[in-house]
Amino acid sequence: MAVTIRRLEEFDDVENFDCGDEPLNNYLKRHAWTNQQKSSIGVTYVALEESAPRLVLGYFTLATSSVPRDLLPKKHVRGLPPYDLPLILLARLAVDHRFAGRGLGHGLIAEAFKITLRVADEVGCRCIITDAYRDRVGWYAKYGFIPIEGAGTDGPQKMFLDVRTIRAALRGAIEQE
Amino acid sequence: MPAAVKEKSKNKAPAPKVRKSKFQADLAPSEDSIVRALKAELEMTSNTDFLSDALALFRWAVSERKRGHIIVSESSTGERKILVFPRLERVAPEVALPQVDIHWNDKELESLAELASGQPAQPTKALIRAVRH
Repeated sequence: MAVTIRRLEEFDDVENFDCGDEPLNNYLKRHAWTNQQKSSIGVTYVALEESAPRLVLGYFTLATSSVPRDLLPKKHVRGLPPYDLPLILLARLAVDHRFAGRGLGHGLIAEAFKITLRVADEVGCRCIITDAYRDRVGWYAKYGFIPIEGAGTDGPQKMFLDVRTIRAALRGAIEQE
Repeated sequence: MPAAVKEKSKNKAPAPKVRKSKFQADLAPSEDSIVRALKAELEMTSNTDFLSDALALFRWAVSERKRGHIIVSESSTGERKILVFPRLERVAPEVALPQVDIHWNDKELESLAELASGQPAQPTKALIRAVRH
């Protein structure tokens, strides 16, 4: 299956997308395009098969954020530069259940890492944060995401991945080639 | 005219002729009336001037989107509208990700600060595979 990943476009076929999770389906069908084009709340990237280049098989949404330095505990800010902490939010990632098990999730998160590196190079960002469903924490941990302590036990789990770790992975990948 | 000046102007090389391109467009009747109305509104008489100004505006819009800037109009009451023009989005860099606020509680902030200020973790095999992908 030859898959391409690109930014969501207005006439992409999202209506039949079904990842088995209604909020994630609903976001793609009702909000992703508006949020991207009109509200500037998040940019959605979609995975499409070359033979059906409008049919969305999976997606993820990115945004940037920052944490004001004065909100961070003083005992830790000494190890940080004297600025607000810039970060990328991996807001959503989902794969249509009919295409699960074919490595689409891996392809999507790989693209998210590449974009993160580009953003870090172009405008700077220190880490990537995601809000993982509890049953998906292990999947993100496989890529090195570390749970951030302090969340309640019911809602999603915030997870952290340092951009320096992604850069080190890139160096490791280059050395292996 | 003083002789020296006269001499100088005699020796001056003729300015190179700038080759001008012709631009012809088939407009639908509705587009034609829009052009006419805009020309009248802007008190323009020539199509060349009209095209030149339109080009300058379009060029500016493209350069702004290329830099990741959004184009906004703001009313006197502060109501803002963002220009959404699909062709312009094609030139917008992927790095132009929107900025959002994330809610953090104190414990999460402490954990985040500890992680961000510490040594980065070693990449996992899956992460190395992903960036090689």
